[in-house]
Amino acid sequence: MNGKLLSSFILRPLRADPARTALTALAVALGVGVVVAIDLAGAAAAGSFQSSLETLLGRTDFEITANGGVNEVWIGRLAALDRNARYAPFIESRIVIDGVGTVALYGVDLFAQEKVSFQGPAAPSDPDHAAVVSSALAARVGLAEGSRIAAFQVAAVVPAKDVEFLLLDIAAAQKALGTYGRLDRIDVTLSPGENAEHVEREMRALLPPSYTIAKSGTRGEETRKMLRAFRWNLRVLSFISLVVGAFLIYNTISVSVVRRRPEIGVLRALGAGRQLVLWLFLSEALMFGLVGSIAGLGLGRVLAEGVTGLIALSVNALYTSSRPAAIGLSWETAAMGLIAGTFVSLLSALAPAREAMRVEPVEAMGRGAHEHAARIRWRRDLAWGGVLAAAAVSCSFAGPVDGKPFFGYLAALLSIGAAAMCAPALVLAVTGLSRAAVRRCFGAEGMLASRSLAASLSRTSVVVGALATGIAMMASVGIMVGSFRETVLVWLDSQLRADLYIRPLGRSGAGQFPPLAPALPGLVAEVNGVEAVDVFHGLEIRYRGERATLGAGETEIVRRFGRLRFLDGDRDAILRSLQGADRALVSEPFSNKHHVRVGDAITIPLGDREASFTVAGIYYEYSSERGFVILDRATLLKYLPDQPPTNLAVYLRPGADPATVSAAIQTRAADQMIAIARNASLRRDAVVIFDRTFAITYALEAVAILIAILGAANSLLALVLDRRRELGLLRFLGASPRQIMRMIVLEAGFLGVLANLLGAALGFALSFLLIYVVNKQSFGWTIQFHPPLGLLAAALTLVFCATVAAGVYPARAASRLRPIEAIREE
Amino acid sequence: MKVELRNVSKKYETVEALRGVSLACEGGTVTALLGRSGCGKTTLLNLAGAMDVPDSGEVLIDGESTASLTEMQLTVLRRKRIGFVFQFFQLLPTLTVLENVELPLLLAGGRGTEGRARERLAWVGLDEKARAMPHQLSGGQMQRVAIARALVHAPDLVIADEPTGNLDTASGERIMELLADSARKFGAAVLIATHSAEAAAVADVRVRMRDGRIEAVDPS
Ligand SMILES: Nc1ncnc2c1ncn2[C@@H]1O[C@H](COP(=O)(O)OP(=O)(O)OP(=O)(O)O)[C@@H](O)[C@H]1O
Ligand SMILES: [Mg+2]
Repeated sequence: MNGKLLSSFILRPLRADPARTALTALAVALGVGVVVAIDLAGAAAAGSFQSSLETLLGRTDFEITANGGVNEVWIGRLAALDRNARYAPFIESRIVIDGVGTVALYGVDLFAQEKVSFQGPAAPSDPDHAAVVSSALAARVGLAEGSRIAAFQVAAVVPAKDVEFLLLDIAAAQKALGTYGRLDRIDVTLSPGENAEHVEREMRALLPPSYTIAKSGTRGEETRKMLRAFRWNLRVLSFISLVVGAFLIYNTISVSVVRRRPEIGVLRALGAGRQLVLWLFLSEALMFGLVGSIAGLGLGRVLAEGVTGLIALSVNALYTSSRPAAIGLSWETAAMGLIAGTFVSLLSALAPAREAMRVEPVEAMGRGAHEHAARIRWRRDLAWGGVLAAAAVSCSFAGPVDGKPFFGYLAALLSIGAAAMCAPALVLAVTGLSRAAVRRCFGAEGMLASRSLAASLSRTSVVVGALATGIAMMASVGIMVGSFRETVLVWLDSQLRADLYIRPLGRSGAGQFPPLAPALPGLVAEVNGVEAVDVFHGLEIRYRGERATLGAGETEIVRRFGRLRFLDGDRDAILRSLQGADRALVSEPFSNKHHVRVGDAITIPLGDREASFTVAGIYYEYSSERGFVILDRATLLKYLPDQPPTNLAVYLRPGADPATVSAAIQTRAADQMIAIARNASLRRDAVVIFDRTFAITYALEAVAILIAILGAANSLLALVLDRRRELGLLRFLGASPRQIMRMIVLEAGFLGVLANLLGAALGFALSFLLIYVVNKQSFGWTIQFHPPLGLLAAALTLVFCATVAAGVYPARAASRLRPIEAIREE
Repeated sequence: MKVELRNVSKKYETVEALRGVSLACEGGTVTALLGRSGCGKTTLLNLAGAMDVPDSGEVLIDGESTASLTEMQLTVLRRKRIGFVFQFFQLLPTLTVLENVELPLLLAGGRGTEGRARERLAWVGLDEKARAMPHQLSGGQMQRVAIARALVHAPDLVIADEPTGNLDTASGERIMELLADSARKFGAAVLIATHSAEAAAVADVRVRMRDGRIEAVDPS
């Protein structure tokens, strides 16, 4: 292509109009920035799978695990296989140390570790009290070899700057945790040359069928798999800004085509081919795409810093405990950002560039004629809108693909397209119907504003479409989160019926169940004012290759005091049927994820047995996507007699004061590290976590809205520039500068109202998709529809005000035009 | 109503568009400005219509200098006392014919203005086109609408810049008659810039300009 032509025909106009050029590039940069930031932060928040501990312990080949723990006798039996392999015990938990806080605790065969060098005389002589600490912990607490931490003496400090942990010998760890004879895992390391397949087959034959043998590293893989839907949803959400940005590019290129129709006509008359014209305008878009995307990469890297913490929070609350890894701008992410930004820019420029291509050489048509064409097309657009809407509806009935709500998102995209296609008809309808009222309320300025919007129909429609998309995203996510919040509140109320909840002290994330002392329930039950104690055992299990939570409680107490809500069936009868029987409850997400219905049998490996349970009921559950299986406590203990309790729910006698009873329990269990939470504070905490989890979605919406508002400002500015002559004329006819300003601000207001109307309608449609299709398919839970109307009204008003504010700069520019100069331009 | 230019000069960058021009227009008279392209007619009209202020000299409207008025006072002056007609009609394409005529009244914040607009439209003979859009009219009809618009608020001063420049002779004559009528019937001071001698024939006073100066005034 001719570089000179490009520079004079495309670059010069861009330079001549720096505000609009900058706004468009900024929109692309923001869109790409958000996509890049979410991608980087998502990867970082998913956690570093190769922890420094793993580095320290070295490579292993297999991991042997079992629901409810691995019996340590198997180490000896495996060693008897006579293979060149090492079988290392592993325990993983957390303990709370006075003055130090929660620390990860690992039990390993401490003195077999090659990479730990023990210095000082004390350590190996007393394995029960020797501890190895990570340098991070040592630095924070001020430990050195020989110093004491809790009941242990530091035998070595190992380099690990990013994690705090305490490494004990296996027996010491079992003693500290009260889990004698049990391991969390056996790590199998083969000597070089040993045949992995043979070893695996022999171990399989030896170990109980309920034990799992997995290649090492599958845990990280599992976590990634578990987070897949979550990250995918987040990523889709992040693309919204880019979609809104696409409207802006479309708008900018359209304006540039419309303005230069006569010039294009001249170019064509001088012998330029259609392809050249097409490429000229595509290269304009390419320029915006490239410049914006490159700026977006930098922006994304910066934004990622802020976003990672937020996402990590959701991951911890909903999935698994992880710690964010370092953020790195990988080549893949950078390429993805660049390609996405450039591709979206080119795609959105395609229609206007084709329009330019079709300009005939003789054509010197003005805008009027072009807009006339747009006016005629509104019927066709409306028909297309209907077609797209119908397609969206049919997509919403399709099931998930590979666990992802692919068709749900397709339906959302189609709905956005449908709304955009309806925009011209809406603009004409609203400006037409409000004619008299607008003239009465806003006089000449109102009349002129409304007419000029209807006159530049295609441009108005694009702005309304972009703003409406932003608003709809905000509204739909707002409705979804609001409904979810209300649903969770109602659910919390049915779920949390006890007065006090007791768990081990310290932090723990999803999937972690530190034990309570077995004697504790008895102690608590004797405290004055306690009516009943529900002893709960939680443990992480594997079910069909996916992690889930197995819980067991006193179903009789739940029946008497609780209000557990079931999808179907009589609560009382379901809970009664559970007692002591091989029957189980499953949570709604579990039921959806594994396609389990009431009456089905589920087989869960427990200890060294395969236990089979009949599903008695499916209950509503929103705390975690991983899924729950609930047994009666007696049933669990039948299979895992040593399983320690992990939580207690304490019901008080009528009239008993929770604070007093709580204090009494603390005194009784003074030597135990327990945390007692009152019902109200637990609910409050749950809501706080919920709100923090969704903070990120609000941030994403804010960016989408911001881009849409940039679009409105951009478009109004173009409108002002194109109507200079008309604005000058109005001054001749007696309009004051203030009236000109008012007129442009009113146009902005009109855009805001139109966009709010379309956006709210689209928003409700999208919220249905989010709640009943996307959420259901991604997470498996049913959210009840509770639109937060007050919040929505406030948000829409805010967007409206922002749109009006976006009109202020163009309005000032318009009011400052010098009328005699403006009118001279013909 | 009296508009008076006293020794007025105006310079655009390097071009001296007006050099010491003095001229007075009275209510009820039609004054025609003649001269070749670039001699300063439009510049003079803009000054007389208070759309611009001179670099030196004064423009007095009923004895008051336009340079001493604020932006708002100038706007009020235009709303109440001045009407403009342009060579390229300058109708707003998005408004109906009637709304175009009504516009100055609406911008001035008037209510119940439709009647007066219809009256003026009838006066230029286009009452049956009230609901039409401008692009459905011929050039001559558009200019008649523009005249109805310029006169809708009964201004004391009507300024027309080459109102017949884009019209055939017959339509041009009709336009000049209407402008002359507005001076004779409504007592406005009418100031017209034109290239056409036929058009100038209607005027009471003909002012010949050259290179920013007044060359001759007829009758003097
Ligand atoms: N805004 C402006 N900037 C620079 N020069 C100007 C401007 N307006 C007018 N001029 C110059 O001032 C001179 C007088 O211009 P003016 O428009 O008054 O002429 P005119 O008599 O109306 O011409 P025409 O008959 O072509 O309309 C011309 O040389 C013109 O180029
Ligand atoms: Mg002129």
